[in-house]
Amino acid sequence: MLLVALFVLALVTMDLPTWQRFMTGMQRNFTPLMRGLVRPATGVFDLAWTSMVQTFFMAVLGTALGATLAFPLSFFAAGNLLGGTRWALPGKALLVAIRTFPELVLAIIFVAAAGPGPTAGIMAMGIHSIGYLGKVFSDVVEGIDQGPMEAIRASGGNQLHTFLFAVVPQVLPEFASHVLYRLEINLRAATILGMVGAGGIGLPLIQRLQFRRWDEVSMFLLVIVGFIIVVDAISSRIRGRLV
Amino acid sequence: MPEAPALPRPPGSTRLRSLLSLAVVASLLVIAFRQTNFNLEALFTGTADFFRFFGRLVPDWSALPQIWAPLLQTIQIAYVATILGSLLALPLIFLASSNTTTDPVTMWVFRTLLTVLRSIPDLLWAALFVAVLGLGGLPGVVALTLFSAGVLAKLGSETVEAIDPGPLEALRAAGAGRNRTIIFAVVPQVAATMVSYILYVFEINVRASVVIGLVGAGGIGQLLLRYMNFFDYTGVAALIAVIFAVVLIIDGFSVWARSKLI
Repeated sequence: MLLVALFVLALVTMDLPTWQRFMTGMQRNFTPLMRGLVRPATGVFDLAWTSMVQTFFMAVLGTALGATLAFPLSFFAAGNLLGGTRWALPGKALLVAIRTFPELVLAIIFVAAAGPGPTAGIMAMGIHSIGYLGKVFSDVVEGIDQGPMEAIRASGGNQLHTFLFAVVPQVLPEFASHVLYRLEINLRAATILGMVGAGGIGLPLIQRLQFRRWDEVSMFLLVIVGFIIVVDAISSRIRGRLV
Repeated sequence: MPEAPALPRPPGSTRLRSLLSLAVVASLLVIAFRQTNFNLEALFTGTADFFRFFGRLVPDWSALPQIWAPLLQTIQIAYVATILGSLLALPLIFLASSNTTTDPVTMWVFRTLLTVLRSIPDLLWAALFVAVLGLGGLPGVVALTLFSAGVLAKLGSETVEAIDPGPLEALRAAGAGRNRTIIFAVVPQVAATMVSYILYVFEINVRASVVIGLVGAGGIGQLLLRYMNFFDYTGVAALIAVIFAVVLIIDGFSVWARSKLI
């Protein structure tokens, strides 16, 4: 009941969604939109393809950057390695803080700080990915089998040995799987970062949206959706083998 | 005398394969560096600039009164879109699940539709609907509704496919029609999980509705963009602090509610 009441309240108090405006907008743009969407402009395929490839590599670098930074951080957020959950709290809090910060806002800040271009987008993705990757990495580390650690300690290995030969081999496959999953997420994110000037396919796409070149928009969407579906399929196959 | 069992060794191919995957990753990175003109120098100077920029982000709390209205709109967009998306997802779930759908063709059609819905990022949906419906909160609601329907239907149909088939068969054997079977055999089994997914999608929508304003789809993002364009960094800082707090609170609430559910 409360949920329904809140829903109605939210609908009514929102000044915007006048049904009428929805209808006029649809009437004005629906037919050209559909006509354009079913007839993708083949002329922009090359542009869409090259920008999508660049977008993909932005996602690769952003993910790599995030993984590189998250790797050391995750061990400082794993309670079982630090000898108690409370020692992991600062690390965990830092990761939550990073995760909460919207990627696109990071991208805007990087564009303002370092100028427009793919570098800004890569850095935004890299920083944002730390939050997610650090969290799942540390979950993996907390779930490892303690046996090998004890075995190495019992046979006289020091902390570094325990870490290198008991912790790292256990967590690497799962880490790799999470990194791939993050790559899928980042690829989606990278397609829109261009809208704030952070490189990739977003910029040419939003220009075409603003000029309502629906046939060209359609081609861009086709390339994006196709690329994402293929990358998802490959990535989930590899992930299935890893874990 | 039987030989002592040899210590387990990784098979030879494993080493080759890890070397191979290492090579693939390395070459991907090299190509990526070239493709995106990324240079490490820019990374370091950029990071320095980033922190210098952060230093200038001293919140100006006098901007707060301006922030409340768009902030409220942001949460409204997320809330309305989550509810509408759930309603829209409901029929899609049962059409896309192998154990409740009518025939394989319907299932395939709806699964493809869902894949496409989810392949287009939420912000892209928002930009698309801004172009169709004009600026404001409306395109934001429509965009997030579609995206959440796609995500929820996917998660939902996975849940439905994993249910215990017993009650389903019992009802079918007793002669119940498809709708009754769904209502009495499927819904009770998945309701709690679905509510938790809806909360999860609400979290996603709050994050998304914060940024969709950057492409003109209403909410606090539009204000953020205006501050950025006027180089009003103190306003930006106050705004970011508020966004941060709100997302944290809603996330906290949602995590708490979900832990109560399951």
